[in-house]
Amino acid sequence: MDPATIGLVAFGLMLVLLAMRVPIAFALIGVATLAAFTIFAFRTGTFMPERAIRATSSLVFSNSFDLVHSFDLSMIPLFVALGNIAYRAGITTAVYNSAKVWLVRQRGGLAVASVMGCGGFSAITGSSLACASTMGKICTPEMLRLGYDPRLATASVAAGGTLGSLIPPSILFIIYAIFTETSVSKLFLAGVLPGLLTLAGFVLVIWVWIRINPKLVPEQGSAASWAEKMAAVREAWPAVLIFVIIVVGIYGGFFTATAAAAVSVVVTTLIGFGQKRLTLQGLWEAVRETCVQTSAIFVVAAGAKIFVAAIALTGMAPALVQAVADAQLTPMMLLICICVVYLMLGMFLDPIGIMVLTLPLVVPLVESYGMNLIWFGVVVVKLLEIGLITPPVGLNVFVLANVVGREAPIGTVFAGIWRFLCVDVVVLALIVGFPSISLLLSMTAR
Amino acid sequence: MLDRIERLCIDVATASIILLALMIFADVIALNLFKSSVPDAVIIVRELMVLAIIMPLAAATTQRAHIAVEFLTNMLPPRVVNHFVIFGTLFGVFALSPLIYSGFKELMHQINTGSAFYGDLNLPQWPGRLAFVVGISLCWLRLVVMAIGDIVTVWRGGTLEPSGH
Repeated sequence: MDPATIGLVAFGLMLVLLAMRVPIAFALIGVATLAAFTIFAFRTGTFMPERAIRATSSLVFSNSFDLVHSFDLSMIPLFVALGNIAYRAGITTAVYNSAKVWLVRQRGGLAVASVMGCGGFSAITGSSLACASTMGKICTPEMLRLGYDPRLATASVAAGGTLGSLIPPSILFIIYAIFTETSVSKLFLAGVLPGLLTLAGFVLVIWVWIRINPKLVPEQGSAASWAEKMAAVREAWPAVLIFVIIVVGIYGGFFTATAAAAVSVVVTTLIGFGQKRLTLQGLWEAVRETCVQTSAIFVVAAGAKIFVAAIALTGMAPALVQAVADAQLTPMMLLICICVVYLMLGMFLDPIGIMVLTLPLVVPLVESYGMNLIWFGVVVVKLLEIGLITPPVGLNVFVLANVVGREAPIGTVFAGIWRFLCVDVVVLALIVGFPSISLLLSMTAR
Repeated sequence: MLDRIERLCIDVATASIILLALMIFADVIALNLFKSSVPDAVIIVRELMVLAIIMPLAAATTQRAHIAVEFLTNMLPPRVVNHFVIFGTLFGVFALSPLIYSGFKELMHQINTGSAFYGDLNLPQWPGRLAFVVGISLCWLRLVVMAIGDIVTVWRGGTLEPSGH
């Protein structure tokens, strides 16, 4: 059988298995093993199973073991642990608490504080779903209680939750880096400005929305005293310190991303102990949670590595590159096609699923056009971020509706989310049109 | 019995993550303050990574924490979803089998040749491979137990709790 045909069948089988709810990792490993075995077995024209078993076994083991047996990727468990430890030490929500005190006097200040709090949360945890889930439990009920319109109270947090994908440390950037063999540090730095731009855009949406319809929010609250404001600033310093360690540490060339992860874990733990918010048992529990979460992420990444290696054997990627070259697409046309595909997939699949399905074919294509893979990583993550809030399967929307309960059904969240989606599309256009927004920090870093 | 082993595995993984954080932190401090490094820090962290990632795999499986696409099957009645969940578990048994086979072959090779990492401490290569095979095998065993349990539940007319994700 022709390897390209085997590749096509493998992709088809993958789609069928994913639709049948087979865990992504198992689908990737199973299909890749079958594809690799078939290619090796028929390589000489005659069926040679013994040689195929040896070659497939080597491919399966080396790709999975080397991924797990990696120094650089130890940043994944460390960053996940950082989020869990910071949560138990009360650091993840400190930015929200602080912003709330400063913005309470503004109309809609709580919604703005929620988005800023999501930005702060993201800068520690790197997970959009964790951000939407945690902040949804804290901010949305408070806004609903004070009389905020449910569309604003839910959509601002669901959209704010997506910031976790762009603002470092982002787990999606790390997974993208595994696929493309690009620098995680550069990807982290590339995500900073687009992340902050998105945050500013979300704040603008809230401000304009309230200007147009002041009834969405209650009257201004009473202003906080200076003592309260200063206390709020003091509460937020650990979150700011962690962000500085990660971003300035990497930008200034003081740390690699892995070292930044370890240092921020140790510093967060010491702060937690110092402030008496973290106990030894709390630390142990936080790291235990990390184990299961990380294991689930890694087994998908390992499956993806094996799948990519198997797809490389089929020669599908060069064939696709040739087909696109024959079609004489301009870089912008290609990029628009890729964006449309990602946006459509984002309506139905979760970000990791989209990445493992598309990157093995898309990355060679993008490379053949000479596009910068760091910049493209930001574009991809931004597209995945948009997918988290687009109907019918906006994962963040579902997570938020789930934690808020009956007070905010999914329809209400989606009714408010389109305004934030518009900003996301504008930011995406800016990232595509002006690559320097993404590349400025990574290119000027030491 | 399997539950107890899984709890032990998570404890080992937890300790590994704490150790690797301390190891990298110590290395950063040593490098910046004393211009030296912890002997074989990179190799030790890599070996700890295998313990940290692979050992909790069976527990992640028990918690049904594996990431799956649920959008399409969520539109189906629970009775039909049950069959997809069982199929997914059985497919996992099939998918992990080559990993166990290849991991075991590699482990035996390392033990027979006595390979060691090139470094200050000449650490042996087999412990990481052993952890890999043990972790994947435990996950495989958990999948078999879950598949049997799920089939019995569905047979008796019960409904499965499909996912923790």
